[in-house]
This record gives sequence, C-alpha cells and structure tokens, in this order.
Amino acid sequence: MKELFQNDYVSLLARAFIGGLFVVISIDKIADPASFAHSIANYRLLPHWSLPVVATLLPWLELLCGLSLLAGLFVRGSSFLLAGMLFIFTGAVVTALLRGLDITCGCFTQDPSAEKIGWTKVAQNVSLVLLTLFVFLAKNARFTVTSYLQHRTRERSS
Amino acid sequence: MREVLREAGILFLTAALLGFAYTAVTGKGLFADSGSPSSAAGNAIPSPAPPAMIHLEEAQRLFQRGSALFLDSRNAYDYKLGHIKGAMNIPLKEWETEKHRLHNLAKDHLFVVYCDGAECNSSIELAAKLYAAGFTNVKIFFGGWREWEAHGFPTEKSD
Repeated sequence: MKELFQNDYVSLLARAFIGGLFVVISIDKIADPASFAHSIANYRLLPHWSLPVVATLLPWLELLCGLSLLAGLFVRGSSFLLAGMLFIFTGAVVTALLRGLDITCGCFTQDPSAEKIGWTKVAQNVSLVLLTLFVFLAKNARFTVTSYLQHRTRERSS
Repeated sequence: MREVLREAGILFLTAALLGFAYTAVTGKGLFADSGSPSSAAGNAIPSPAPPAMIHLEEAQRLFQRGSALFLDSRNAYDYKLGHIKGAMNIPLKEWETEKHRLHNLAKDHLFVVYCDGAECNSSIELAAKLYAAGFTNVKIFFGGWREWEAHGFPTEKSD
C-alpha cells in the first residue's frame, strides 16, 4: 500500500485524471455563471445573495486547482481544496436526495435537461473524493513543476 | 499542514481575483444587470422577485378568471394522462423547440407554470426560461398537478 503512494506513475495518472476533469467541467460554468447560479439555487441550501458570489468564484477555483494538479504545482494545496469541495458537493447532493428534490446536478454540465441527481452521482463523487485524497497523500516526487524547480536549484548549488 | 493552507490560500485568492476580473470584464454573473428581462436572456442571474410562487387558492382564482394561460412543464406522457383543463404542454426539455408556440402572446400575458407537485423543479426552471425570454408576468403554481387533482378542480386528458 505504501508503495502505491510512492509510485510516481500512479500519482501522475491520478493527478492528470482529477486535474483534467476539473479543468473540463469548470469551462461550462465559467462561460455561463448564470446557469450555474441557477443550478446552485435548485439545491435550496444557500441564501440568494450568495449565489452570484459562489457562481463567480467556484468555477475559477476548480479551473486553477485542476491546472495546478496537471502542472504539479501546489499539488497538496489544490488537492486539499478539491477534496474539500467534492466533500461539500457530495453532502449537497445527499441532502437534496433526502429532501426529495428532483433536480439536475449542475456538476458537469449546465444543461437543464441533463441527468438528474441520484445515488449513482453520490457513489461517483465519493470515488472522486477518495482519488483526490490519494493525490493529497501521495508523494508526488516526480513529473511536477515543484520537483523540476527543486532539481534545478540543487544542480545550481552543487 | 501550514504549507498546505498557504498553497490553498494562494489558489483561493487567485481564483477570486480572476473570477471577479473576468465577470467584471465580460459583464456576466456577479456583474450582470439582472434587473431587465432583456439581459436575463443573456447571462444575468435570474432575479428572485419575478416569477412569483402562488398557492392553490390563487391558482384557482386565476383559472376561474380565465385570463391566465396554464403551462404544464411535465413530459408529454404525463400531460396526456391528465392535466389542468386548458393547460398547454411545454416540457422543460423541449423548451427550445416548443417556445415558438408562445410567440403570438403579449410579453405581459399572464402565465401559470406548474409541474407534478411541490417537489419537482421543472416549473421553476421553465418559469425562469419564460422570464429570460422576456415574459414579465409569470407565476409558479407550487402545488402543481397533484394538489390540483387532489382538490377535484377541472382537469382533462388528451390523446
């Protein structure tokens, strides 16, 4: 198990998957913050005044975290944020299901005719949380901008 | 852990900066002019005031007065099985292909949108689309089909 966390190829793969996923899903939300605000409003969890703020900030946070995972810069910080966000999203979907809300997720696309939320969505999110936690805990010693910069500094000083 | 929080903080602040700068430049989201229906057609965040929610009594009053057009946002199958008498079926998913049916109506025509009941959301979404399309007098009948039918108010079926 320990070897898995230290394997640079496995962590690269996990980083690329999570990073790529968040970059892709953020674009739809950045392009149309109004629809995204509407999707958040459907969950009936946040006060109305906060919707535009969340709809403005969240997609950019997803994009930046995704990019930094892909590049391997601030890997721990971005995987920490993404795991936290995914955890909150999952909680929101679970409470919406328990309250019997018949809504679309607003996760991957803002198309109102997209798939409705369900327990499959919850399972999908939980696996993403676990994968992101793996990236957070993995060593990420190679294939990252950080490791490249450290390597350069070491070369220069020697 | 301090390092993690520092990185997270930098990412958060950068995202906030980029997000607000982008929306300010493009006029989307936070900086959208949500007051006018014309901008709502673009990217404005739907304003909370219109369309308003109404309850059964008000819906029935409007039905009896006969001036409102009831819109059923459920799918065609449910509509065929039974709907509020005289209601037009505009399934939320088919809004783009069906919206032309409302073209002849005045922008301030009174609409009452409903779906299955209080727990469905398509009436709210359809009302938002109507509002975004410039219709200013849109009401959402919150209790929907189930409440209407349970009270024995006029319904009809279609083939």
